[in-house]
Amino acid sequence: MKTDFLKSLLSSSGLSGFEIPVAELIKEKWASLTDELDQSALGSLHGLKRGSGKGHSVMIATHMDAIGLIVSKVSGEFLHVANLGGIDIRVLPGQAVIVHSERGDLSGIIAQPPAHLLPEGEAKGAVALKHLLIDVGLSARQVARKIKIGDTVSFATEPTEMSGGLLAGHSLDNRASVAALTLCLEELQSRDHIWDVWAAATVQEEIGHMGASTSAFQIRPDIAIAVNVTFAKGPGATNWETFELGSGPTIGLGAVNHPFLHQQFKELAEKLEIPFGIEILPGRSGTDGDDLQISVEGIPTIVISIPIRYMHTPVEVVATKDIQRTARLLTEFVAMLDADFLEKIVWDD
Amino acid sequence: MKPLIKKLTETFSPSGYENAIREVITDEIKDFADEIRVDALGNLIARKGSGGKKIMIAAHMDEIGLIVNHVDEKGFARFSPLGTFLPHTLVGARVRFLNGAYGVVGAEYLKKETQTKLAPLDKMFIDTGATSPKDSPVKIGDVAALERPFHDLGKRLIAKSMDNRVSVAVLIETMRKLKTTAHEVYFVFTTQEEVQVRGAITSAFGIAPEIGIAIDICPVGDTPDSAKKEVSLGKGVSIKIKDPLMIADPRIVTWMIKAAEKANIPYQREVSTLGSTDARAIQVAGAGAMVGGISIPCRYVHSPSEMVDYDDVQNTVKLLITLLEKKIEL
Repeated sequence: MKTDFLKSLLSSSGLSGFEIPVAELIKEKWASLTDELDQSALGSLHGLKRGSGKGHSVMIATHMDAIGLIVSKVSGEFLHVANLGGIDIRVLPGQAVIVHSERGDLSGIIAQPPAHLLPEGEAKGAVALKHLLIDVGLSARQVARKIKIGDTVSFATEPTEMSGGLLAGHSLDNRASVAALTLCLEELQSRDHIWDVWAAATVQEEIGHMGASTSAFQIRPDIAIAVNVTFAKGPGATNWETFELGSGPTIGLGAVNHPFLHQQFKELAEKLEIPFGIEILPGRSGTDGDDLQISVEGIPTIVISIPIRYMHTPVEVVATKDIQRTARLLTEFVAMLDADFLEKIVWDD
Repeated sequence: MKPLIKKLTETFSPSGYENAIREVITDEIKDFADEIRVDALGNLIARKGSGGKKIMIAAHMDEIGLIVNHVDEKGFARFSPLGTFLPHTLVGARVRFLNGAYGVVGAEYLKKETQTKLAPLDKMFIDTGATSPKDSPVKIGDVAALERPFHDLGKRLIAKSMDNRVSVAVLIETMRKLKTTAHEVYFVFTTQEEVQVRGAITSAFGIAPEIGIAIDICPVGDTPDSAKKEVSLGKGVSIKIKDPLMIADPRIVTWMIKAAEKANIPYQREVSTLGSTDARAIQVAGAGAMVGGISIPCRYVHSPSEMVDYDDVQNTVKLLITLLEKKIEL
C-alpha cells in the first residue's frame, strides 16, 4: 500500500475542535474524488460521490480529529496543559511535542517534576496531568509573548514504517480510517454504483462525537457506516475485545449495529474472501456510530473497525493491509447497494 | 444593574421549576423585544432585530435546588439534589421551599470522631421544624432553593444563584442598551441547565441559529491553593476556549477577542477543566452551530454564597453589545 497520504495525515495536526490543518489536507485529496465537497457548521468535511440511481445515499463517516493537549495556564517558562480527548497519561512524560502558537510552531518536551517535589502520594504510579509541564526552552518573557492559553499541543513523533508491513505513529486513530475511506473513493472512480456516497471526515469525535450527530442531521443518509479503529492484540491485551493485527477489519455486532447490515457485511466479506473479525459491542460503541444511529429519525448503522495496537498513545501501530482490506470491503459494499436494498431492511425475520 | 441582580438572585426557581424567575424576567424585557415566546420546556425566547446572522444568546435562568424524596418518621425531610452540590457547603445552609416553608440542612454523623469527615448528601436532611410527617410543612416532591440575601460589597457582589442570575441580568441589560442590531438575535433564558443542559437542547433546535453564545459564570483559580486555572475575579470577561464538554469554535473565539481588544474591554482566555454550559447543546443541535461562551468569573460556585466582580459584569454587557451591534465577519 502506498502510505504517502496516510503519513501526511499523521504528520499533520488537527486536534479535536481544531481540525483545520488535517481538514485542508483531506479537502485537497477528496476534491478530485468527489462531485461536491463542503463543510458543516462545525467543520466536518462532506464529500458527495454521486451514484447512477436517484435518491438513496450511504454515509461513510471517519473522524479526522486527534487527541492531544491544550495549554491551560502559563507558569513562568513552563506550560500547564489540559487534555483534548482521552489521552493515555502514562506515556506522556518525556514525549516530544509541538506547541501550535499564533507565532508559529514551537518544539517542546513534556517534563514531570522530580518525585520529591510532587505532593505526598502523587509520585506513585502515573503522574497526574495537572503536575506535568511543557518546556519549550524559552525564557518566561518569551513564553509570555509567544504562547497563549488555548494553544494546542500535539505529539511530534513522525510516522515510522516497521517490518512486516506495519506502520507506527500517533493519530492512526482515526487517520487510518480516513486513509481507508480515501482509498475506497479512489476505487469507486472506476466502479459503477447506484447509491450516492457521502464521505464524511467528522470533527470532535474524541470529545463526544459532536461532528457525527450534526453531519448526519444535515446529510440525512439512508444508512450510515462509521469506520474507526479497535484494539489489536498486544502486550497485556489478549481478551475477547482484541483482534490480531493484520487479521482484517472487524464488523460490529450489538445495539448500535443494525443486524441486517451486519449480516450483509459478513456475507460480503466471506464471498470476497476478506478476513474479518466480529466485534461484539453490547452497548455504546464509543465511535461516531453511537450518534449516527440516533440522528434525525434513526439511521440503520454499522461500525467497521481497523485493529491498532497501543491506542491513544503516540505509537499506535497498524497493519497497512488491514487499511486496504477495509477500503475494499467498503467499495464492494457500496457497489452492491441496489435500488431495493432499503426495502430489504426489515425487522420481521 | 445591582438592584436587578438583587431581584433576580432573591427569586427562588430551581431547575424544572422556573415559573417564578420567568415571570420576573418577562416583566423586565417585555418592552425591549420584537417578539417573545415560551417553548415546550419553558425556555423564554425573545427576538430582537432581523436580517444579518441568526444568533442565539443563552443564559440559563434555573438554579440548583433540593427536592424532598421522603419525610422520615421524626419529620426530617430527606432530599435529592436538583443539580450539583458540594456537600461541605450545604450543611448549615438555610433553604426556602416554593410553598413558602423554611428549613435548615443538617447531617448525620456529627459525632466527635466523625466531625471532620464530609457527610454525603444522602446522610443529610432538611429540618423544617416538624416532628413527624403529619405536621411537616413539606411532602415528597416539594422543592427548595438556597436562602441567602444579596450583599453589595462595593466592587464585589455575593448572593446565592449568582450562577446564573448574574448572566440573566447581563442579557436583560444588553437588551435594554442595544439600540439597533444588524442581526436576528434570540435572547434565550433557558431552563434545566443545572440538570444536564436540557432547555438549551430544545430551544437551539427550535431556533436553529448560525451562531450560539452561552453566557454563564466560570470557576476561578485565584483563591488560596485553588485549581491550576488562569482566570481571576475582576480581571475581565472570560472568553471560553474549552471546557470539559465543549470546544468553542476557533472562529468565534477570534471574533470575540478581536472585538474586546478593539473596544478596550479587559478579557481573559479560559481553558476550563470543570463544568460546562448551554453552548455544548447549541453546538450539536440539528446540523450544528458555531458556538462560543462568555463567562463571568465567579468564586465559590454552587455554594450558597457565590461572588462576582461588578466590573466583570459590566464589561460582559459591553462586550455583548459590541459583538451584536456590528456586521460579523468570521
